[in-house]
Amino acid sequence: MDDRLFINLSPGSTYLDKLTGKTKVRLFFAFIILLIATWDMRIIFPTLILTIIGLSSLHSKLKSVKAITIFVVFTNLLNLFLIWIIEPDYGATICGGSTVLFQFTPFYIVTGETMWYFLVRFCKMMATFVAAMTFIQSITPSELAAGLYANKIPYKVCMIVSIAFRYIPDILRDFQAIKISMQARGMELDAKKTTLWTRLKQNVLILVPLIVTSFDRVGNIANAMDLRGFGKNKTRTYYAEHEDGPGDRQMKIFYIFLYLLILVVIAFRIFKPSEFEVWYPWS
Amino acid sequence: MENKKQSLGSMLLGKWDTKTIVGIAIGAALFGVLMDFGGIKVTTNTSLTSAYVVLPIVGALFGPLPAALTGLIGNTIADLIGGWGFWFDWSFGNAVAGFFIGLLPVYGAKIADGIFTTKHAIIYAIVTIIGVGLGFGVVTPVLTVLFYSSELTVTWIQAWAAIISDASVAIIVGIPVLFALAARNKKKTNLTKED
Repeated sequence: MDDRLFINLSPGSTYLDKLTGKTKVRLFFAFIILLIATWDMRIIFPTLILTIIGLSSLHSKLKSVKAITIFVVFTNLLNLFLIWIIEPDYGATICGGSTVLFQFTPFYIVTGETMWYFLVRFCKMMATFVAAMTFIQSITPSELAAGLYANKIPYKVCMIVSIAFRYIPDILRDFQAIKISMQARGMELDAKKTTLWTRLKQNVLILVPLIVTSFDRVGNIANAMDLRGFGKNKTRTYYAEHEDGPGDRQMKIFYIFLYLLILVVIAFRIFKPSEFEVWYPWS
Repeated sequence: MENKKQSLGSMLLGKWDTKTIVGIAIGAALFGVLMDFGGIKVTTNTSLTSAYVVLPIVGALFGPLPAALTGLIGNTIADLIGGWGFWFDWSFGNAVAGFFIGLLPVYGAKIADGIFTTKHAIIYAIVTIIGVGLGFGVVTPVLTVLFYSSELTVTWIQAWAAIISDASVAIIVGIPVLFALAARNKKKTNLTKED
């Protein structure tokens, strides 16, 4: 938990930043649903490219994404490795067939299909991750609430999501503050001087005050919201939401296309299911 | 403290005032962050996570439905910053587990008034195991088949790991935390609330 949590609090000036919250939320969900619905590399790969273009168009903030990207690539590779440990011939049921490329023991084999499945899965997870990062980096908590509200979600639920989103950097700040004050009282967290186990135990000790202070703050925030008249009326408006700009009109065509694509993908899965879940080019 | 009789329905729903909304939000943020960074990995995408301490606290303070929403939104936030893809089947599993864990006020454990006895702790442990088992053993696999048909074998392994690790965190860490919270709130009960 170091520099991995970052939430954008003020809107930026790039093309994606200037979109309304409504468009951002709809675009994001279009990408996520499409990526959940399909296992086809012919759709996943272009999506991955598009999300990477989206993220790099927010060039001023790329530095903050670097650490978490390394972490996520590592986690995903570890996950794939664990799947391989549990079931080395995983691709057989999913891509249909097992072309052995490499053999450690009779059980631990490396098949072309499994490797292809892992590649597809990796691309799918990375596309989801890059889409999520682009979304987090380009939206502010208020715009998120406004965007969800524009999509007919009750505003109290929008407020929950928005406060939760806004609160993430505060958790990081509190965690650091508690850690420093505990170190000042003599708690050793240096990797060279303590064992991994004691460090883990000490990190758990930090969590207790973290959770307690967080819930103590509930009263203050709730009072501040009540004083501003939160929850008085059935509907509300948002300062963060503005009129549709030219970007919104262009993106509207794009996300309508994405939703149509999702419908086509789902229709294919229901009415004309392919024999195997993942399309394998060399079968 | 006067004992106001609440109907079962209103206890299940919780009181939807501003405090509850903020409580769910902060619970969800904590749940999400702890899910990602506050745990040790067990199997793929499942870890022995400290996030499950958050659910009994939200449940004790606000009731079962807020705890369920905390699990649902918290897990979605964890997916958003975790970068392992979106698994809404698990979000709903967490919501069901959260609902059961958050049943505390329904069987009389009022943490806000400092009431939490050994009897409540035992009921809490049993309900938690039922809830986590139902959430990850039934709801998540069913939704996995609906949403992501090919992932079922992995889900079963993860489900068992999640049931064992999350239930043990919720019980072994959760019960002492609930006792501590109850003891902390008991000191305040000589004050009565003015209406």
